[in-house]
Amino acid sequence: MLAKPSPDLSAFTASPTRSAPPPGLSRRHWLWSAASVPLAGGLGALAFSRPGQAQNSDSGTQWPHLWRAVSRVGYGASPALLAAVKQAGSPRDWALQQIDLARTASQKPPLIAPDLADFNAPLPDIFAATKRERELRKQLKADATDPATRVKNPAAALERRMDFSQIKAPEFYTRRLTLQTAAWRLGSCSQPAIENPLLARMTEFWFNHLNVFIGKGAVRPFVGHYLVNVIRAHALGKFEDLLLASARHPAMLLYLDQAQSVADGSPGAQGRSRGLNENYARELMELHTLGVNGGYSQTDVRELARVLTGWTIGPMQPDGFRFAPRLHDNGGKHVLGHSFPASAQAAGEQEGIDAIRMLARQPATAQRICLRLAQFFVADQPPPGLVKRLRQSFLDSQGDISAVLRVLLASSDFWAADNKLFKTPMDYACSALAATQEAAGADRRGLVLAADYLNNAGQPLHGWQTPDGYVFDAATWLAPEALTRRSDFAFALTRRQSTPEFLQPFLSEATRRSIAHEAPALHAGLMLASPDFMYK
Amino acid sequence: MTTPHTLPRRQILHTLLGLGGWLASQSQANDTMQFVAASPEEPRARGKNDVKNSKQGRLVVVFLRGAYDGLSALVPHGDPSYYALRPNIAIAAPDGSAQTSLQLDDTFGLHPAMAALLPLWQQGVLGVIPCAGSPDATRSHFDAQHHWETGLPGKSSAANGWMNSLAGLHPNTRALGVGEANPLILAGSAPVQLVPRGQAATRAGSMGDERTHDAVLRLYAGQDDLSKAFRAGADSRLQTSQTLTEAQMSMPANAVDARQMAAADNGAGPAKGLLLDAQHLATLMRRNPNLRYGFLSAGGWDTHSNQGAGTGALANNLRALADTLVQLRRDFSQTNDMVLVVSEFGRTSAENGSRGTDHGHGNAFWLMGSQVNGGRWHGRWDGLAQGQLHEGRDLPVHHDFRAVLAQVLRHTQGLTLTQLADLFPGYAWDSTLDDLLRA
Repeated sequence: MLAKPSPDLSAFTASPTRSAPPPGLSRRHWLWSAASVPLAGGLGALAFSRPGQAQNSDSGTQWPHLWRAVSRVGYGASPALLAAVKQAGSPRDWALQQIDLARTASQKPPLIAPDLADFNAPLPDIFAATKRERELRKQLKADATDPATRVKNPAAALERRMDFSQIKAPEFYTRRLTLQTAAWRLGSCSQPAIENPLLARMTEFWFNHLNVFIGKGAVRPFVGHYLVNVIRAHALGKFEDLLLASARHPAMLLYLDQAQSVADGSPGAQGRSRGLNENYARELMELHTLGVNGGYSQTDVRELARVLTGWTIGPMQPDGFRFAPRLHDNGGKHVLGHSFPASAQAAGEQEGIDAIRMLARQPATAQRICLRLAQFFVADQPPPGLVKRLRQSFLDSQGDISAVLRVLLASSDFWAADNKLFKTPMDYACSALAATQEAAGADRRGLVLAADYLNNAGQPLHGWQTPDGYVFDAATWLAPEALTRRSDFAFALTRRQSTPEFLQPFLSEATRRSIAHEAPALHAGLMLASPDFMYK
Repeated sequence: MTTPHTLPRRQILHTLLGLGGWLASQSQANDTMQFVAASPEEPRARGKNDVKNSKQGRLVVVFLRGAYDGLSALVPHGDPSYYALRPNIAIAAPDGSAQTSLQLDDTFGLHPAMAALLPLWQQGVLGVIPCAGSPDATRSHFDAQHHWETGLPGKSSAANGWMNSLAGLHPNTRALGVGEANPLILAGSAPVQLVPRGQAATRAGSMGDERTHDAVLRLYAGQDDLSKAFRAGADSRLQTSQTLTEAQMSMPANAVDARQMAAADNGAGPAKGLLLDAQHLATLMRRNPNLRYGFLSAGGWDTHSNQGAGTGALANNLRALADTLVQLRRDFSQTNDMVLVVSEFGRTSAENGSRGTDHGHGNAFWLMGSQVNGGRWHGRWDGLAQGQLHEGRDLPVHHDFRAVLAQVLRHTQGLTLTQLADLFPGYAWDSTLDDLLRA
């Protein structure tokens, strides 16, 4: 369905004719498209009414394209980012340039403020500090005469401002890492000076695709390290390298219990025996690669779990990974028709690598990932033709993510006005930060508000419990009471802020007129709370 | 999961736009409190051929996402296979001492952390079906939840949630979801109310400031659907926060409960998590009789490793669940009120290699309400011997979840067989469950 969306839904053309849903268009799609008319009409009207531009059809599409480029390739408009796009010549040129820039940036260490840097420490240090924290807490608990006494956090007030410069309490180590990771993440998504915008976007996409949950205690200290060293580092590289890096990182090994999966009958503590755990093997096929209808069976799940036995955490290793040959099941296995003959146990690490690369190269994997990319960047129901082209480029390039992005950002579908996207809470939070916090510097109060908003809106940072990750569509996030929470955040964030006047050209005539009638103190909040600001 | 050919997975937008209608109907709320009129003396439907439309009970579904381990909640202590399959994580057979299961009968016991439910079992208002579930054998959480919430096993394409369709059967009836942004079970064309988890539900935020509220709403004055959704959201938000705040301030009885709960909780403080959400759900449904269907969910049940036994991570979750159910029973104890506790599938009958359990098939389905033929378990149970297991490893599904829902909806909501067939196309009435509810 919907090979070509109906022309009368096309935004940015100032077409006043909108009526019943065109034949063949689902009612929901129709409503959803029609809902975004304020932005569409406004930009169109603006493009056609600005002096010196009205006659030029190219510049007539410039404002909406500008908005789309900064809101989808990055997280949203800021004066500096708009200037950068202008300098690049056109939104499209700028967008395409970001691919190489993002890839280059991904190969360099990230810019992390010194007081946030603990979360990106070498893995053996994180393991050691986590162990120390556990022992210390045990000791503090044992020392407390009243069991109800809770360990007080001496730095709670500083944490509340995300100021970590003087916070060292070792008994709050993982809590600090969690907050530091959130501060870095929100900063990198909203400030192009910290992170290339497309790299921040792709970091979100892949973190979500290979989701880990910061609420799982054992995983918590490693989430930030995983974000930077697995997800960010491979975000524009080869998919199979990314997948393999995630498979070997302590965050994933612990999140989906691979660290505990061993050959059936392996010796465990206190003379008890241990064995297989299917969790990671299943989600590796169902979610990370093939998809639930990708053609694997319960037998494949068991067999893949057997292949991966012995893959576990290595607290002393620089990469946090260890292969334990004695815990590997060295019998013969078959996964999706590929055989892994009985071998020496030491060969088990390579077996796992081969299996993961094999899964990454399956056409079903290419299909699943390209569909998700198109949903992330283009539309909730992306044109099947686009997905097909992306899939082909994925297969032709052996899973080169940059190559796929090149096809995506160059496609007319990416720029087509009817391919609407409603902002998720994460989009909304980061675009609001981008619009208002460019000069915030070390003041992280805006980031604190954003993190709180994400918690209330149902999209806490690194906080999705299950391995499927967040859904990004409007059907999930365009919900009545939830919309009002965007307004709460908008006004909290802009209290005592000057009005982001540079947003004016992106607002509809009606919105601008309405805001002009209100008290000036409300202007900034109203701009961010406006219907125009809800779409990307 | 989704393909480009499928329709949108959730059809939520128009779902929510009817909220304005709900709010408008608030003023007539007193005229529509039919469920209050339902009394124990009322003649009851007997068997599948009666048609009865005066049932107006309220229905709450508590969905345990992640597949809870029913074999730890409803302990088959009479079956030696259970202890053979689970050498490290089985719940001990009842012997009266701490951390052993609580005897229900010679076959089953209750997890000790769920002791709070024992009185409800003994009063006969709590019952269970040990081997229920979906006829589709998927072991994918996400597919199975999709099937469960749409009422369409095996179909993963876009569809409405069955609770939304149920609410749509009566003009003034609404569904309420507490906790999730937009659960599939509530997606569809009937208006629903969605409030967030935790204390955030009680706050009016920027909508509580008149000047800000009015200025924002002037931006959403149009007839486009985003504007309508925002206006409905603003009204709903004010209503929700006002209702919950009033309830907090004006309920000494609850304050006592809260203190008792805190004491029992070893000073853990006021209600939080699922219990708090359940309190919010109950308050909102009590204050607005049009809200007849409620949905709650809890995560953290996907216990692949170190799930514990009498104590541990799973036991803590089960304790919180039991406390929540006790609270829900207080609030939903009118004649035809019903609370269901379900999960997308069960877990392996054997423990895995890391003292947890992997994805299985059949699972225990709990029902609580005055009409439940409770204090006993229902349906078929063949034990855990090797020959009795699905694919040699999991509890089988002897009772289709839709057939269980059909019993409930027929008895407590008065749905006709035609309506049930529309709601659950292709399901079959399960007459072996005809004594599940009192008739």
